[in-house]
Amino acid sequence: MALIIDSVSKRFGDVQALDGISLEVKPGEVFGFLGANGAGKTTAMRLVLDILRPDCGSITWNGTPNTELPRETWGYLPEERGLYAKMNVLEQLVFFAKLHGVKGKVAEREARDWLTRFRIPEYADRRAEQLSKGNQQKIQFIAAIIHDPQILLMDEPFTGLDPVNASLLKEAFLEMKNQGKTIVFSTHQMETVEELCESIAILDRGRVVVGGSVRDVRRSTGRQMVRVAVEGDPEMAWLGALNGVTVTRRVQDYTEAEVSPGQDPGLILQAALDSGHKVRHFELTDPSLEQVFIEHVGHLDTSERTLAPKAARK
Amino acid sequence: MSGWRTLFPNAWYIAVREYRGRVRTRSFIVGTALLALVAFAATQLPVLIDYTSSTSQTRLVVLAQAPGMPADSLTLLSSQLNGQSTDQSAHAAYAITWLAPGDEAAAQKDLEAAKFDALLLIVRDATTQDLTFTLRTDSPADGRSVSQITGALPSLEIEDRLFRAGTSTDALRAPFSLTVAPVSGSSQPAKDLSQEVSSSLLSTGLIVLIFMAIITYGVWVAMSVAEEKGSRVMELMLNATTPIQMLAGKVIGNGAAGLTQYGLILGAVCGGLIAQDPIHKALLGTGTGTPFGGLSPSVLIAFAVFFVLGFLLYSLLYAALGSLVSRQEDVQSATSPLMMLIMVGYFMSVFALQSIDDAWVRIASLVPFFSPYLMLARVSTGHVEIWELALAVLLLIAAIAVALFLAARIYSAGVLLYGQRVGLRQVFRAARVSR
Repeated sequence: MALIIDSVSKRFGDVQALDGISLEVKPGEVFGFLGANGAGKTTAMRLVLDILRPDCGSITWNGTPNTELPRETWGYLPEERGLYAKMNVLEQLVFFAKLHGVKGKVAEREARDWLTRFRIPEYADRRAEQLSKGNQQKIQFIAAIIHDPQILLMDEPFTGLDPVNASLLKEAFLEMKNQGKTIVFSTHQMETVEELCESIAILDRGRVVVGGSVRDVRRSTGRQMVRVAVEGDPEMAWLGALNGVTVTRRVQDYTEAEVSPGQDPGLILQAALDSGHKVRHFELTDPSLEQVFIEHVGHLDTSERTLAPKAARK
Repeated sequence: MSGWRTLFPNAWYIAVREYRGRVRTRSFIVGTALLALVAFAATQLPVLIDYTSSTSQTRLVVLAQAPGMPADSLTLLSSQLNGQSTDQSAHAAYAITWLAPGDEAAAQKDLEAAKFDALLLIVRDATTQDLTFTLRTDSPADGRSVSQITGALPSLEIEDRLFRAGTSTDALRAPFSLTVAPVSGSSQPAKDLSQEVSSSLLSTGLIVLIFMAIITYGVWVAMSVAEEKGSRVMELMLNATTPIQMLAGKVIGNGAAGLTQYGLILGAVCGGLIAQDPIHKALLGTGTGTPFGGLSPSVLIAFAVFFVLGFLLYSLLYAALGSLVSRQEDVQSATSPLMMLIMVGYFMSVFALQSIDDAWVRIASLVPFFSPYLMLARVSTGHVEIWELALAVLLLIAAIAVALFLAARIYSAGVLLYGQRVGLRQVFRAARVSR
């Protein structure tokens, strides 16, 4: 009972887009896909949707191969946003719903419902080209989910939204989750992942470098983070001198240090007490996703590495 | 290649969307209205020509100062100039006035005052007793009225000479026998010249209709594919439908929009042709006869069949080519090879009309890309065996099936390719790896 991607590979010409990835997304879960541009997130989604076929490997949902599932199982918000520019919003939403087998009357009611929920009911009769980018994005989101799919696949759903609209979308996410939908989305925004996701997978160059629950992933490096502050010694020069401890960040309230695997973080507390100052803050935590990401992928850079064959690059 | 079973209803929804989107554009509405208006006006051209030529009546005054002319000379001149109808109505080409002898100075004054266009003086030569003619007019010497009037004079002269020799006017006008017979002398009447000209005109017209439809509406299909790709709405569509559904929907929707425009224009033409006769009668008093002389049911059926099949074949290819470009601006250049193919077929059929029963025409008319034009030309002007027609239609349907298969593969690969220029190699590579 899950979405299972098993040893899936996909090659475009001389680019190995996916190299034997395996994943499991449990039903009702919010799953985050992390990875630099070109890591293979979009290709993985297109394979799951059966828009592309894998070279090898299998994809199943609750035991059924994805090639045999009806298309309305999926709701897909592509990374490349687009609508029919000259068509009015309501007609457009009804059109997409009907393509997924929803009756016209039901589709219209659903469409108006969602427009109201996104606080844009007055746009029903406008042409898509008259809407702002952010509002178009909301329409596209509605188009992706109007047929009440079991699984949502969303490619960078939060990119380009202002904070108000982003939080509207997050509300919608949580509501879909409460209805028992399974949600898979890709993003660069680590905070969003930590806020919404139960499980994640980090992709790099077509491989899953680490996956599992957010907690497990954060612990996957074996490193621990210590945040410490003592009164009267903002420098804490002794901290860096400790064996197996690296200072990673200094902020107003505390200094953050990374403790190598195998080292006892208690060492730092002992050293702090030994320094003779009053310990104001001591916190033991896992590395942030951002730090895990950098650790596994080696960089946070989002430089382009497109998947399309070389000649077809834009 | 999934989706054969589930072609509908999605292909239908897409077709409806395409149709509505197309028909509602301002360019469609204005274009259709203009074309229909022009088409209607064109059908009224013959009436207009008849009407303007009838109003340019030449007023001719005849002053005969030649005693002893036959009494019916005026009738003879009038029938020579105005044809068999002797009526002096306003529609006759010449209004002829026969003046009493002796008014030459007055007539000359009226001529100078442009009360009439030409003055014909008839005097008898004192020595030869022949009639001598003087035509005074400012019409060009090689113009139509001068040559028609001078052409009518010999019969006046001849009749006068015969009359003077004692032949009675009754004898001069006695009817005689005239027969036109075919070379072989068989009872089969030769084909009417006007009928032959009209069927050749008709087949040219029908070929132009198919040619225009394929070019105009095929490009619509390519444009609509490129538009979806350009606006990236394609990605939403890809999850909602299959390439086959999209292809079918687009071809049907745009084809139906094209047929709507065609229907309205043809309606205007038919209306114009039907109206020709009453309008002609109202303006000129005479009718034009029934329109659609060369149209037979078999030609109409062949036109419908080859129109639909030809459009299907070419628009599938247009859709495939349209899927290869990223922007609508590139459609023109991407579809130019197809345009060449269509032009070749068109010009072949134009040449074929000159030699409709040649062997090359018979062979080329079976080739799917050309059969819509050539078979139509043969059906409307030449001779076609039933098996040839059936074979051409079967080959055309087979070609459509192959085109559908190829177009669906190119399409499903092409719609995901974004780039400045996509070569055939990328397409084939992508077509191999896509579903």
